Amino acid sequence: MLKTRIIPCLDIIKNKVVKGVNFKNIRVMGNAVEMAKYYSLSGADELCMLDINASYQNRKTFIKTVESIAKVINIPLTVGGGVSDLSDITDLLNAGADKVSINSAAVKNPKLIRQASLRHGSQCIVVAIDGKRHKNKMKVVIKGGREITKNELITWAKQVQSLGAGEILMTSMDTDGVQNGFDSNMLKKVTSNVSIPVVASGGVGSLEHFYLGHLTKSTGLLAASVFHSRKYKIKTVKKYLSSKGVPVRL
Amino acid sequence: MKKKVIGLIDGQSGNIGSINKAIKDIIKGRPYQLKIIKSHFNYTSFDKIILPGQGAYATLMSNLKKFKIIQPLKKYLENNSSYLGICVGMQILSDWGYEDKTTRGLGIISGDIKKFRNKKLIIPHMGWNTINLNKDDIIITNSFDKKDFYFVHSYIFQNIKKSDVLAFTLYGQKFPSIVKKGNIYGVQFHPEKSHKHGLNLIKNYILKS
Repeated sequence: MLKTRIIPCLDIIKNKVVKGVNFKNIRVMGNAVEMAKYYSLSGADELCMLDINASYQNRKTFIKTVESIAKVINIPLTVGGGVSDLSDITDLLNAGADKVSINSAAVKNPKLIRQASLRHGSQCIVVAIDGKRHKNKMKVVIKGGREITKNELITWAKQVQSLGAGEILMTSMDTDGVQNGFDSNMLKKVTSNVSIPVVASGGVGSLEHFYLGHLTKSTGLLAASVFHSRKYKIKTVKKYLSSKGVPVRL
Repeated sequence: MKKKVIGLIDGQSGNIGSINKAIKDIIKGRPYQLKIIKSHFNYTSFDKIILPGQGAYATLMSNLKKFKIIQPLKKYLENNSSYLGICVGMQILSDWGYEDKTTRGLGIISGDIKKFRNKKLIIPHMGWNTINLNKDDIIITNSFDKKDFYFVHSYIFQNIKKSDVLAFTLYGQKFPSIVKKGNIYGVQFHPEKSHKHGLNLIKNYILKS
């Protein structure tokens, strides 16, 4: 039986894991390579790392960090943040990423999804979607939720699937960073409208939240703070899920 | 003592970085050497060949043709020499692939590569799933039975002889996750991404056969 994946997410500036939603009060949580190694050894099913400040200067160090991490882990690695064109995707795959996640660039230029999946295969192209409620509709937002696009969330989710995305990384900007749980309602809408895997992101604060995330039919559950702060070990989450009857890799 | 030569084929079908590193770690301090195969090669000078693959069947076949790898690889396999195919590297052992367009495979293990039958499944089959051994093997020992490995694929080996299936996995249906014929092995999952059990499998393949 296919297991639900538990995926720690590392927000990275250069080679440091950081926490800080709006670029204010950014706190360094640790060294990226050390933390990646720790998660790989302690039972993570996959690792996600995002360049949250993809400036020209920081990019080189970030790519080196991807290379270093790919060398020390032997679980799948998804890399995103600051991916704007095909050459960015190739660079990250060459650096050792197994999957590359595209967000705003896909919204601005949907053809990029098709081009990338034709060149590298759907299995390594993830489209990250940030969703937010606006005037009673679920919309796609970019720039960390500051810009609301004209795209309706569900229409966009279906479109990225038909363009060849192999997976959707779905973050609700209404629940992200609040630790009150995943946005079950939004996630269910997405999972019931696409047939590719959906990874749930944004809002985990307790063990029960992971279980509720599983109930949305998301096959991957992503979390950052609860792991980085050592509130929960990955094994703790998996044992809890297993006790609730959710298939996990123990 | 003469060193055993392991060939790792780079078919430009996904990243060979992880598998390359895994092999290097295993053979360190042991009488083996690793050579990357990127073009025509002398098939008699290799003791083992590993072919990892991602993406489409047709793409890998056409790359192998383009790089002039296909002829020596066919001869190597027809000699029943030791081989480990990973994901699409396993799928091309079949007669035909039906992904995107119909493509003739290497025809070493009879069967076809077709899409999962159940239309309600989440595709690709992506994540960790269990392998169930049909029989014990020198490389795929009992210790691997019921262990989880990392899969990412939408197509599976069908119309295969039961005797060629070493292990199966369940996802909407039973499908072959490890195939074997003589000294030729194929795994549908990615051992290089499957943490310790995956590394043990690669280690067994290199050291035990």
